[in-house]
Amino acid sequence: MFVVISYDISEDKRRTKIHKILKSYGQWMQYSVFECDLTKTQYAKLRSRLSKIIKPNEDNIRFYFLCACCQGKVERIGGDMPRDTTVFFA
Amino acid sequence: MGTIYVTQEEAYIGKVDESLNIKADKKTVLDVPLIKVDGLVIMGRANISPAAISELMSRKIPITYLNFNGKFIASLEPDMGKNIFVRNAQWKAAGESAQAIHVTQGFVRGKLKNYRQSLLLAQRRYDLDLNSNITQLSNAIASLDQAKSINSLRGYEGAGSAAYFGCFNQLIRVDNFSFSTRNRRPATDSVNSLLNLGYSLLRHDIQGALNIIGFDPYLGYLHTERYGRPSLALDLMEEFRPLIVDAVVLAAINRRMLAPKDFITEPVSGAVSLTKEGLHLFLRLYQEKKLSKFKHPVMQKQYTYQESFEIQGRFLAKYLLGEINQYPPLVMR
Repeated sequence: MFVVISYDISEDKRRTKIHKILKSYGQWMQYSVFECDLTKTQYAKLRSRLSKIIKPNEDNIRFYFLCACCQGKVERIGGDMPRDTTVFFA
Repeated sequence: MGTIYVTQEEAYIGKVDESLNIKADKKTVLDVPLIKVDGLVIMGRANISPAAISELMSRKIPITYLNFNGKFIASLEPDMGKNIFVRNAQWKAAGESAQAIHVTQGFVRGKLKNYRQSLLLAQRRYDLDLNSNITQLSNAIASLDQAKSINSLRGYEGAGSAAYFGCFNQLIRVDNFSFSTRNRRPATDSVNSLLNLGYSLLRHDIQGALNIIGFDPYLGYLHTERYGRPSLALDLMEEFRPLIVDAVVLAAINRRMLAPKDFITEPVSGAVSLTKEGLHLFLRLYQEKKLSKFKHPVMQKQYTYQESFEIQGRFLAKYLLGEINQYPPLVMR
């Protein structure tokens, strides 16, 4: 499933941690916005990892799910293109 | 899911949280979540951190080392499959047993039928006259059923391959490439160098699939034992060669995606290899082919070629364990 994740974290240290975790699951699109293509298990794991770190009364993280048909309708002007996951070169 | 190819000189592969981070000249060039990775191929010189190695192994992702020309050097793979029964059955069938003859027949039949299919297709598409080569292939296929020994099967395989490569040059539809005979170690023309690189990538993938199933890749039936030769991977490769590698090589040449300027010749040995841009293009084409879907003739469902490596391996295991009474090679119509 395709998830757009946005977060608002007040403390720098915690924000860096969350940013690092999210980078292991998806692509960083904008400041505090990620796009992730995950399986259910991967999503559950990510969610539980994040929920252990945040302080619910100060921070908030939102998960927006896009269905397969809406996913194709995402429009982007400028910025990074979504990553091609069939092959990577370095 | 994709494979990472590291071709950058002196790159450093590290692990940050659960992603692979590849650095060159102290700058990050690639940062990929490990959940998107199913293989790591290091071409040339690159460093990899111990933490990254252990993370890759625990996720059962193999690491392969190739040199600049794509020649295989080594691979680092997670623990062998624990299925001792498969390995036991594999060893019991070694040599001239009825089972070994049957599976060898399967491999050779799969390969030759796919060869014939690609010639028939080319004949129709380009309006060529390949009838004599196709007849030779059909004769070889027809004789397979009577073969009583593995050596005679090797003979038919040789005859069939000779018929196929005898007209391979006619399948190349552009002027600036040509093919005369197969050569390797080192390849001295560009078509052979592409074929060799493709076979070496395919071998890596199939060996990985065999390892997952629990086979010992070094004991084969069609290919005899030789020190360090993964014979079973080479055996299972036979039916996939025309379907994947030859198709990718021909497409790259005929669609003019690769040109002679994408190759470099080494002056002393005459070895031909791809330039970096050419290599990236070829690797991408190979990967796309591997992830393309087709309807599996036995399973009657859509699979990618990548998945079919494991499916064919599982068929082989089931046959050797006596769960099915025939090994069905992958033949495309």
